[in-house]
Amino acid sequence: MNVAGRLVPVQAAYDDLLQRSLAKLPGDLARLIYLASTRDYNTGNYHHDGLAARFRPDAASKALEIAHRDTFFRLSAYSLEQLFEELEAYLNSSHEVPEDVLRTWQKLEPYRVAIPVDVNPAMARLFLSNIRLALAIWRHRQKQAPEPQ
Amino acid sequence: MISAPVTLLVGLLVIGSGLLVAQGLASARKGKVQFEALLLEDDSAFPACPSDLVNRIFFADDSKFIQAANSPHLAELFRRERRQVALVWVQQTSASIHRVMHDHKRIARVSKDLDFETEVKLLWLYSELMLLCGALSLAVQAVGPLGVRRLAVYAHAHSQRLAQVQQSFQAATRPRELPRVGAA
Repeated sequence: MNVAGRLVPVQAAYDDLLQRSLAKLPGDLARLIYLASTRDYNTGNYHHDGLAARFRPDAASKALEIAHRDTFFRLSAYSLEQLFEELEAYLNSSHEVPEDVLRTWQKLEPYRVAIPVDVNPAMARLFLSNIRLALAIWRHRQKQAPEPQ
Repeated sequence: MISAPVTLLVGLLVIGSGLLVAQGLASARKGKVQFEALLLEDDSAFPACPSDLVNRIFFADDSKFIQAANSPHLAELFRRERRQVALVWVQQTSASIHRVMHDHKRIARVSKDLDFETEVKLLWLYSELMLLCGALSLAVQAVGPLGVRRLAVYAHAHSQRLAQVQQSFQAATRPRELPRVGAA
């Protein structure tokens, strides 16, 4: 198959992923967590049943990988303040109690596995550091907030 | 005739520079260990470092947001985190410079038409950058990344320059070597 023949399904799968799945998620942090969850822990391959059914499995996998990297690069360029706002939106939109999510994130640091493979190490370290700081700021603000009557 | 204090001063400068270069080289070696934790397959090459990353790490924009929280605990956490990130950046930069020079040596060993002046310039630039990385590593640990941003920007720009010179050298030597490989 020629190069164009290989690229078009990936582009189509990528566009479909953006429009159907990612657009519904509230912010880039939620998108990053979602995309990382489609990656197999053992093989590093991405998989999404719906996308693989509509397109070829390899095109779907590549589209997920590209979307994951794009989202990570976008988030990495956020200032600490912007990342904090993303985290706040993510915690408030989750169906869990935000304090519970915060506690789990601070203890287990699950966001570590949300980093794509082969990104610049200093960039990855800065991202992890900023998430850690954003969590600490969120906790600090919760302590400062007046108790509900 | 050179006086004893001048001799002592020059001696101390030479020893100091030597120690800083050694610190830079040690940073390059330390980097290999740290990156294993970040899922790199090997240490042969680092994925591209975004050009604005040095600004994000060494400039004070994020610290203003932290200061607004008015919390000594957060301020201390921020300083500690940024110091760690800056040290990873220094190690990565140092390791990249070391690798560029390693690649250059490998190619230069088999090249028949080396330009002495270019080689001296490259060696000088390499030594200067290693000295800078050593100084940066110590300075980041002593005063934190925000106090050394000019040095970091300088090191970043010159490490890019070294990589460009090496790429030009590689491109210039490659066409003459390919026919030999094909003929074998």
